[in-house]
This record gives sequence, structure tokens and C-alpha cells, in this order.
Amino acid sequence: MPSLVAAAFEAPYLDYAALAPEIVLTGVLLAVLVVDLFVDEDRKAVVAQLAGVGLLASLLPVVFLAVDGDDRSMFSGAYVVDDFALVFKALFLVSGYVVLLMSTDHIEEGDYWKGEYSFLLLSSLLGMVVMSSARDLLTIFVALELLSIPAYMLAGWRKRDLRSNEAALKYYLLGVLSSAVMLYGMSLVFGATGTTVLEDIARELGGDASEPLVALGIFFIVVGFAFKVSAVPFHFWAPDTYEGAPLPVTAFLSVASKAAGFVALLELIFMGFFGQDNVWQPLFWVLAVLTMTVGNLVALRQTNIVRLLAYSSVAQAGYMLVPFAVGGSSDEAAGTAQTAVIVYLLIYAAMNLGAFAIVMTVARRTRSGEISSYGGLFTYAPGLTVLMTIFVFSLAGIPPFGGWFAKFYIFKSAVDAGTGWALALAVVAGVNSVIALFYYAGVAREMWMQPVPGDDRTPIRVPPALGAALGITAVAVMAIGVYPQAFARLGDLAQLAVR
Amino acid sequence: MTPALSITATAILAVATKVDIAVFAACVVIVLCGAIGVVVSRNPVHAALFLVLTLFGMAVLFVAQEAHFLAAVQVIVYAGAIVVLFLFVIMLLGVDREENVMAEPLRGQRPLAFLLGAIALAEIFLLAQGTQWATGATQVAGPAGGPGSNVEKLARVIFTRYLLAFEVTSVLLVIAVVGAVVLARRYETTATESPAAAQVEEPQSPRSEAPLSAAPPPAAPDESHPDESHPDESQPAGEPDAAPSGAR
Amino acid sequence: MYLNQFLFLAAFLFCVGVYGVLARKNAVLVLMSIELILNAVNINLVAFGLFRESVAGQVFALFVIAVAAAEVGVGLAIVILIYRNRHSIDLTEVDMMKG
Repeated sequence: MPSLVAAAFEAPYLDYAALAPEIVLTGVLLAVLVVDLFVDEDRKAVVAQLAGVGLLASLLPVVFLAVDGDDRSMFSGAYVVDDFALVFKALFLVSGYVVLLMSTDHIEEGDYWKGEYSFLLLSSLLGMVVMSSARDLLTIFVALELLSIPAYMLAGWRKRDLRSNEAALKYYLLGVLSSAVMLYGMSLVFGATGTTVLEDIARELGGDASEPLVALGIFFIVVGFAFKVSAVPFHFWAPDTYEGAPLPVTAFLSVASKAAGFVALLELIFMGFFGQDNVWQPLFWVLAVLTMTVGNLVALRQTNIVRLLAYSSVAQAGYMLVPFAVGGSSDEAAGTAQTAVIVYLLIYAAMNLGAFAIVMTVARRTRSGEISSYGGLFTYAPGLTVLMTIFVFSLAGIPPFGGWFAKFYIFKSAVDAGTGWALALAVVAGVNSVIALFYYAGVAREMWMQPVPGDDRTPIRVPPALGAALGITAVAVMAIGVYPQAFARLGDLAQLAVR
Repeated sequence: MTPALSITATAILAVATKVDIAVFAACVVIVLCGAIGVVVSRNPVHAALFLVLTLFGMAVLFVAQEAHFLAAVQVIVYAGAIVVLFLFVIMLLGVDREENVMAEPLRGQRPLAFLLGAIALAEIFLLAQGTQWATGATQVAGPAGGPGSNVEKLARVIFTRYLLAFEVTSVLLVIAVVGAVVLARRYETTATESPAAAQVEEPQSPRSEAPLSAAPPPAAPDESHPDESHPDESQPAGEPDAAPSGAR
Repeated sequence: MYLNQFLFLAAFLFCVGVYGVLARKNAVLVLMSIELILNAVNINLVAFGLFRESVAGQVFALFVIAVAAAEVGVGLAIVILIYRNRHSIDLTEVDMMKG
């Protein structure tokens, strides 16, 4: 660092165009906060609409930046707007919009603080948008806190419900613990390299044999993020939090929050610690095997659809950890691995949000989360049944739908790596996909073949906002299934340069 | 950025005086006594006071390392605000009874926790052996980042290199304040369809907006004190909800 | 003074904090134990910053303190919320959902 003694203050270079999505989003969330104060209680829907419009408005600069195509870098490489960042910014904003659509009626009819709900949702999204561009330990830490702290509060937003309180407390305590552990790791990595910027960390660490201190630092960072993405020894908060939190929040946590954890992992592992693969590859190998297996086996036993989706999302995180466990051998393997994770995240967001939208729609009438309450759904809600079947089969990875393609890329990354460990991992993932088929197919069987419980066949009314959310997710899942190449190209474009 | 190996460790070692060692030793005793006090004391109030002890010991260590601003922040924000917040909540909720704390969480969890903590400690010590870090000396004589006042250097880095993180943190503090206020408020203003709800909404407005300007972080629960002064006994747990609870 | 003195102090503090998180069952005390871990992080950051002649360590520590303040504010709000509904902040009792 150049000597700064008594030098006149030099303003840092700020590329406002590159920061436009963040600036717009910050403006919108402050506007939401202020407008909420002046809107009567029975017209709070205006606030949600403002938030929705604001989300789409902040998507505009992302599109312009993508069209422009230049990589922009600020703060000595600590904040970068490249294809990777833009793809994920778009993913977060769109899935945030879908969650907002899903929330509209749920929040309206529930016992919630509506205005602040939109405000917190936008805040969490702002954290994710910052996370997509963060290439520096400190920025990653601050972005992680910005996306987590509103999420802790949203989980407990159903204030009078004990389950919601419990969900918030568990999520909060484990989230704070995990970020403390991650910070301890970051402090060790900072000590070993003397810098917080990932690019410089990669240069300092190089491909040398790891020093124990660096290894320990990476270990703690990975453990911290393992909590965040609910990887298995650290997953126990997830089912309880998912079950207790308000449903749209659950959808948000299981998709956006998890994706943000993976974004941070991609940045840290492939940009910062790539040369240290002998440390993190085995770690991810163990995490991936445990997460897939435990997630799927426990999901088999679930009778509640939300808990089933919770454990299924744990298992899905396991599939996404597979490329990390095989991506360290060469630059090429790293590229394939990154594409696999990115493609999987995009598709997973669409299909999981879709599944949650259906659960919410059905729960509006049945008031139940038991899988048995889906009996005979086809006889009185054929449209919803077909959509739900698409989503669960996509999650299971059955060919014509998007999920199949995502799984294919996971296997491809493992097989391309070609080592014995990678192939073993591919086998484990294959076995797990078969196990997963049982419980996903169980849901489908319930809907198509079982009798209607209580023989109540009044049709389910789908509110327009939920309908829109369903439409967006269904189109995305189908489009990915039919034109997978476009998404593969997106995944290829978005790779981070490894060094 | 200093290259990894350009450390003139032994040369600087000479600067380390006996006074430094004495200060360090005293601080270590204070910090560790405080830390152990936090995890073993029966009474939560005592635990909070032990935490203050740890924080003060660390503040002295920061001064010894020429981190003057950080030492001040440590005392003012950490000890002065965060721990006071802890104490406030402990006393407000009346959870400072001893039996609430000491019973075993789960049978055998405490020995297990002790074992895990010991293993982690041993692992860290073992891993730290045999690296250059174990023998490198800190540069007590030379303040970090060249000459100049500590605050000035911090400010230069914060407002250039870490400007974005700084701004994001300021947004984060606003969010935490608003969210905490809404979470900790009592129920009468929650979303019922009664016109009263809209009226009670009004007084909240200035309070949740005020922190936007420059309120310090711990203002969050402070803001909710007026509501907290009477822990709400009238709310039975699990009050029936008129609203749909989604899928459960 | 040696760097490793600070590292060992931080490591010890970290482990005491982890022990506290696992062994305590009062939510507020668990939160205090997490503060111990954060303090271990700060010791590391400041010592490494001095060692590396970089002020970045201190800046990082400053951010850790600011964020910790926000976290604690939110956490205690959640604790108050739970206490209102349940009149206890005992973690073993806050465990309705199983499976």
C-alpha cells in the first residue's frame, strides 16, 4: 500500500453505472420504509406494489450492464461487476420478485407487519446483490450480514406464533454462530496473506503446500458457510426454521439465502483459495456425501410437505456441493464445476420456488401441510396438480424438465474430473437421486391416485399474484428443460477466472 | 502490501520490553478470567459483568498494539452499549434467577462441550506449531500502516478502499433498528382490521424513522423501551390466530 | 511481544466461546458466548494487522464491532419476543418441532 502520510484525501473511484442496481434498490427500500408510514393499514398493498416495481426497476440497470458487457472493477478489485455478478444479481432480483408475489396474499391475510415485511425482504435482497459483486473478505462479510439479519427477523415475523418465534431464534443463534466461526477463519486468512482482497489472497497463497494456519482458516470459513447452505453436520436448524417461518419466507430462505451462500463459496473457493485445493476438496467431499445422503434419507420419513421440501432442499444443497469436491484439480475442472453450480442454482431457484408456490396455494384451502391432504388433488385442481408434478419431477431430475439438466451437469463435472474420489462421489450422487425419486414420486402418487380426504372437492381459488408466481416459475422450469443450451451458455459465461 | 517473508522479526524483537510483557500478561489474565466467568457463572448478570472484564482487558491490549481508536470503540460501543443492552434485557425479563442457568441442557452435553472445546483448542495449537507465525514477532514499536495518527489512517482506508462496505454497514444498521423495533413492539398495533390499528400506527412513525439520521446501533432496543416497561402478561402463549398459518 | 502470544490468546478465547455456546441453555448467555468468539476474531485481526503493517486489520475489527452491535440488537429483540409468548428463554423449552 502506498504511503498515505499527510497526503491530501483522494476520493476513491466510483463507477456509478456499475453500482446502479444497488443504488436503485437502496433508494427503493428507503422509499418503502417512508411510504409505509403514511399509508393506512387497509391500503398496505400499495407498499408491496411499490416494492415489486422497485425490484423490477433495479433489474433494469442489471440488464443494461449485461448488454454493455464490460467488466468493471472498483476499490482495488474488492467490488467487481462481471458476468458472474450480473447473472446472480438477476437471479436474486427475479427470485425476490417471485417471493414478493407469493407473499402478497399470505401477508395480507395474516397477522403481519406488512410494510416492514417488504422492507426487510428488499434489504435482504440488497445484501445478496452486494454479495454477487463482492470480491473481498470484508465486503463478503458485510454482505452476508446484510442478507442474514433481515432474514432472521422475517423468520419470526409471525410474531404471535410460537413456532415462528422458535424458527427465528434457532436461525438467529446458528446464523450468528456460523458467521462468528467464518470470521475467525477470515482473520486467519487475513493474517496469512496480509490482504482482504480475494485476488491478492490467491496471489499470496499461490499453489504452495498449505500452511497449517491457512488450512485452519479455510476450514473455519467453509464450516461457517456450511451452516448457511445447510450442509449436513450443520443442517439441524433448517427443517425447524423452514417449518416455523411464514411460508413465503421459507421459500425465500431455501432459495435465495442458500444461493447467496453458494455465491460466496464460489467466490472464496475459486477466486481466493483455488491453489489450496488439497485443503478444501476433501472437506467438500465429506460435506457433499453426508448432505446428500442424510437429506434424502430423512426426507423419506417426512409426512409434512414443508418438512419434506426442507429436507429435499438440504439434499439439493448436497448435489450442489459435489462440483466443489471435484473442481480443484485443474483450471478446466474448475470451469466445469462452476458452470455446474451456477446452472444448478438457476434451475433450483425456479423449481423450488414453484413447489412452494403450489404448497401455499393448496394450504390456502386445506389449511394443512400434511402430504395426505394432497390426496386426489387432481380431481378438483388439475392445473395445480400438473404444475406440482412438473416441479417435483424436476426436483427429482426426471428428463423433460429443468432439474434433469442441472443434475446432468453435476454428474458431468464429477466424471470430467475423472479421479477415483470424483467417480465415487458421482456414484453416491446417483444412488441418492434414486432414493430421492421415492419421496418425490410419493407426492405425485398422492395427488393423482389417492382419494380426496373428506371428499371436499371445492375448487381452489388461485389469487392473481400467486398465479403470476406460478406462471413465472413454471415457464422457467419448462424453458430450461427444452432449451438447456441457453442456460449452459449462461453458466459458461458466468465462470469466475481462477488463478 | 508487505510481501509474506519480508519480516525483520528478530530485529524488532529487541524492542519488546519487560513492560510490554507485564502488560500483556496482566491483560491475558483479565481477558481469560472474564471469558471463563462468562461461560461458568450461575447468574446471567454476573456473566455480563465478566464480559465487561474481558472487553476491558482487550481494550488495553489494543492500546498496547497502537490501535487507539479501536480501543476507544471497544470500551464505548462494546462495553458501554452492547453489554448494557444485555444487562438491560436480562433484568427486564427477570431471567437473572440462578436455577434458570445451571441445569444441564441435555444429559452429558456439558462434558461433550468441554471435550469439543478442548479438542478444538488442541487442534489450533498443534496446527499453529511449525509455522513462521509461531515465531514471528509483532511490531510493537511501529504502528500499523506507517506514521500518522491512528484515527486518520483508519479514516483514510475506510473512506477509500472500504467505502462500499462502510455504506452497506450503515444501511444494515438502519435495517436492524427498524426490524428490532417492529419485532419487540407489543401486539395491539399489529395488523387487525380495526380502525384503531391505523391510529396507533402513527406514533410509531417518528420513532422508527428517527434512527435513519445517525442513531448508534444499540438504539434498536432502546427505541422499544417504552413498550417494554410492562412485560406483557396479558398475552397468553399461543393465542388463537384468526389468520391462516399456511401449511401447518 | 510475539505474534503467537496473541494468536494463542485468541484461540483460547475462541474455544471458551464455543464451549459456552454448546454448554449454556439460556439464549442470552449463548449470545454472550458468541460475543467471546467475535472478540477472539478481533484479537487476531489487530495482531495480524500490526504484524502485516496494514491498518486493514483494525478496519476489519471495527466492522466486526459495528455488525455485532446490529446483531445483538436484533437478537435481543427476538429474545424479548419469545419471552412475551412463553415467559422463558430456555433453549431446551424452545423446541416444539421435532423430526
